[in-house]
Order: sequence, then structure tokens, then C-alpha cells
Amino acid sequence: MRLRYILKLSFLHLVRSWRSTIVLSVMVISAVASLIFLASLAIGTNDAMIRNSIGLFSGHISGSDIPPRIDTEILAVQGVEHVLVRRQQRFLLWTDGIFEPVLLMAVNPLQEQQSTALWKKTVAGRYLQPGEDGIYLNQETAARLHLSVGGWVHLGTFPGDILKTLTVVGIYRTGISQLDQGLAFCPNEAFPSAEGLITTASFLQEGSSTDEIEQHYKRLIPSGKFRAWTEFMPDLKQLIDLNFVCMAIVMILVFALVSVGISCAFLIFTLKNLREHGIMKTMGIMPVDSTLFLICQIGMLTLCAATVGMVAGVFAVILFAKVGIDLTSLTSHNQYFVVSGVIYPRLTAVSLLPPPVLAIIFGLAAALWPSLYINRKSPADILRTV
Amino acid sequence: MIEILNVSKNYTSGRGHITALADISLSFEKGQSSVLAGKSGSGKTTLLNCIGALEKPDNGKILCNGRDICTFNQKQRALFQRREIGFVFQAANLLPWLTVAENLQFPLEMNGIRGKEQTRRISGLLATFGLAGYDTAMPGELSGGEAQRVAFARAIAHKPALLLADEPTASLDSATGYQLIQLMLSLCADQRTTLIIATHDIELIEMTDRKIYLKDGHLETKI
Repeated sequence: MRLRYILKLSFLHLVRSWRSTIVLSVMVISAVASLIFLASLAIGTNDAMIRNSIGLFSGHISGSDIPPRIDTEILAVQGVEHVLVRRQQRFLLWTDGIFEPVLLMAVNPLQEQQSTALWKKTVAGRYLQPGEDGIYLNQETAARLHLSVGGWVHLGTFPGDILKTLTVVGIYRTGISQLDQGLAFCPNEAFPSAEGLITTASFLQEGSSTDEIEQHYKRLIPSGKFRAWTEFMPDLKQLIDLNFVCMAIVMILVFALVSVGISCAFLIFTLKNLREHGIMKTMGIMPVDSTLFLICQIGMLTLCAATVGMVAGVFAVILFAKVGIDLTSLTSHNQYFVVSGVIYPRLTAVSLLPPPVLAIIFGLAAALWPSLYINRKSPADILRTV
Repeated sequence: MIEILNVSKNYTSGRGHITALADISLSFEKGQSSVLAGKSGSGKTTLLNCIGALEKPDNGKILCNGRDICTFNQKQRALFQRREIGFVFQAANLLPWLTVAENLQFPLEMNGIRGKEQTRRISGLLATFGLAGYDTAMPGELSGGEAQRVAFARAIAHKPALLLADEPTASLDSATGYQLIQLMLSLCADQRTTLIIATHDIELIEMTDRKIYLKDGHLETKI
């Protein structure tokens, strides 16, 4: 039989048995659409984890040992949203005879508020304002110095050497030990030294490659040290990698189940039409033609259904990517959700292509069982029993 | 020419061991119309199925123009059924998702009869069987008699050498059945097609050249 004629027969069978076709299609459409959405959600979840981790303070790429004469504007390359420049130096804080060493960081308060979320962690007072002689202190150090908002503290390099006296404008607590111990912030203008190590925090645009920009930075400032978030947060990297693996496993499992479902549904569909296959066999249809007939039907059905499922999945992702999925009420107890508890599903080739491709592959594999069943049955048995 | 030599067929079912055909030997001449008569369970359908290579006998040979069809592999069997045989059953057995014309097109496509010849044959068959204007009708829209006429038309569309009909008039009223069989007999005579009908319809038995009676799988009488 000509392939063209088999294709025509398959098409006519699907169209004229439209009720069964719709029922079978709905299964494939819903599986493809759900998996595209789930994969996009997994990517959005990863984005949220990264955003919440790097958005507090460090940025996607942290730079240190930046020579003072370098214009840090050169770090604002394509794919970078903001570059924050900070100066840092160790000082001694004291008040009423109590001394505490701190790493003081001079920051641009407006830029920091725009790009980071540390200011959201204020437990007393407020965040810094540009030009003021204020200090933003971690809760632990403030407690040791018996300081509260409005109190003042001396700053120097050794006891008695008062370089500056700063007013406590705010006290913060993040729950992350690296930020909650021995760290304090002041506006650039209040920093008591012209020296200090220059550090940078680069925040990248969505979808930009951290590795590529890190390599680019290393070429721009060879003496500087640049580290991507994957290096200084290996636990997060591991979590995200595991998330991808889990998603791949879920996708394969779901499609294995869906393919069993499709296969069973097709077998039921084939059993329902078994007499027709028996009639075709009495007219001399070859086993290869019977198999092709079923494969063409399932192929056409899964191809069309996967396309519709893909469109539905993309539509759902676009819809939720705009409004986001707000999990704030579920995440508010977790101190690490510093930036936002909203997840924005994101479409990538990884989230878009595997579901329809898997649907077609598994769908075609699902055609084998009904084909084997038909080819093994003799037409006399079919016509006698059905 | 079809020769059946010592053909036997047994079944084992819930009812125990059943002898469907017991050492049957027969021959059918080209263009001859024959009837296989007998009660239900006498072995008519089994013999017809064996002649049409729908099932294989346990013993014996069935020679069609000198070739033993019992030794055919699956592909040879399919080609034999496709080219040499036309089947008509008690139910019309039309493909329900194809129109009347598309049902007639099916055996023609399988036999490589396409284009103008295909169109000519389909319109000729529709006219011969009084189905003009029914080409786009779906099988579900036809009456029992109309559907059986389409089934007959489909069975002879590719001009087979052998037409096998299993209780073809059982689901029709006697007048419609009679007209249909008359038409079949005349078409088979014109095309020199060998016609074998399995039936217990007395009227039909009287219309054919030859009568073969079966009882419990045994050949009872040949007239």
C-alpha cells in the first residue's frame, strides 16, 4: 500500500472518529502543557532561589582586590544590570568602654536599596541615607555594645584613636551568620578613610551567562578577583543541579505513565475497532501496512496534540510569568526568602522542547503494542470473536 | 481451479474437542457457483475460511491453481487474499469511517488500480448495484440491503478469481436477498469468478450450479 494512501486512511480515521480522537488528544495535550509549565516553574524556582540568595548582598559576581584607580564603570558590560561598588576596612567600634572589631563597608545607600535586599532586614530604625554620619549595624554587635537606634559610637583603628563618631540609624538581622557577625555599613561620605579595599557586586540581567561575564571581567581587570555565585554558594549550585535532574526524572516518569496510558487507550481504541482490522486483513492488508496505519494514526494524533499542548503550556507560562506565583504566605517563615516569595515561571529550550519531543517518541512507542496485538490475531479469530 | 484434499480441522473449546472438518476432499471449477449447505456448526464457515486462507487446516492441502495455500507465509497469504479473493460476510463489514466510494476504493488501491481506471470501476460498480448517488454516504446512513450491496460491490471491485460469501443473505429479507444473489450470480458468470456461498437458506441453495451438504464436519452429499 502506498504511504500516501495509508496517511489518508489514518487522517480519515482520526477525523471521522473524532470523539475518540479528542479523548486521546486531551491526554497528550494536558501532559505536554503541564510538563512545559512544570519545567518552566522549576526554572522559575531556581531563579527565585538564586535571586533570594544573591539579592541580599553579594550579587551574581563578587569582585575583590579591585585596584583603586580602575573605573568600575567598565564592569557594566552587556548582560549586567547593576554594579555596586563598596569600600571596606577593619575598624574598632567602642562606646562606654566596650570595644568591638567590625568590617565597615562604605556603600551608596540609594544604589544598595535599588539592587539588594539587606535594607529589608532592618529590625530597628531605618536604612542609611546618603551623606549622613550614620551607621547601620548588625544586631549582635549592637547588643554587645549596648547600642540602640539613635545612640552613637566611636570609630577608630585602635582604642582612643577616634577617627569619627557615628549615630546608629538602623539595626539589622538577616539570619545568615556571615552577614550577622562583625559587619557594619555607612554611607560613602561617612567612611573615615580614603583607603580601603574596593569590592564590587554585579547583578546580571535574566538569562545572562554568569560564567561568560566572569571570564570577561577577568580579562578586563586581570589583577582583580572575581567569583561567580556558583563558587561562593556551592550548596545552592548543588540544589539547582539536583532540581534539574529531578525535573528530568519527573518528565520521563510522567511520559512513561502517559505513554502507558496512551498505549492502553489505543489498545482499547484498537479493540473497539478490532473488527475493522479483521476486515482489512481479509482484504489482504500486510502486517507492515497495519503497523504503519496505526503508527501514522498515533503519530498524527500525538503531533497535533503535542503542538496544541505546547501552545497551551507556553500560554500558561506567559500568563504566570507576568503575574508570578506568590508563595509569600508559604515562605514568610523562611528567613532566606529575602527578596521575594514570588516565582516567575520562565521558558527556555530545556523547558519547552523535551515535553513535545518525549510525547511523540513515547506516543510512537505506544503504537507498537496495538500493532503487535493486531498482527498476531488471525482474521478468522477476529471475525469469529468480535 | 480449487482442489481441497483431505482437509481436517479440529478445535478445542469450553465445549471440549470439536471436529469442524473431517477429511474433506472437494474441487471447484473456474466460474462455477457452488453452495455449502448445512446446519449451524456443520463446518461451512470453517471450510470457507480455509479456502480463503483465513485459517489453516490441521491436515490436508488446498490447491489454488496448483499452489498449496496452506504452505503460504503471512505475506504470501495477504497477497493471495488481496489479489485472488473477495469476501462477503453475513454483516456487511464495511469500514465505518470510510464513505461508500472510499470503501470501494480500498481493494482497488491495495491492488494498485488507481487514477481513471479506479474512478471508472467505482462509478461502474455504484451503477451496477443501484448505488448511484451514494458515493459520499457513510455506512451508518445505509439500510441493511444497501450496505450488503456495497459489501458485494467491494468484494468484486478488483475482479477476484474467487468470491467467498458466508451467509450473505442472512440479515436481509428474502426478496432483497434473492435480487442480490441473482445479481451476484450474473456478475460472477460474466467475470468467470468462482463463487462459493455458505448458507442454510433453501431458496439460495436452489439458485447455484452445485450443492454441497456438510454435517458435523463431514461431506454428506455433492450434487
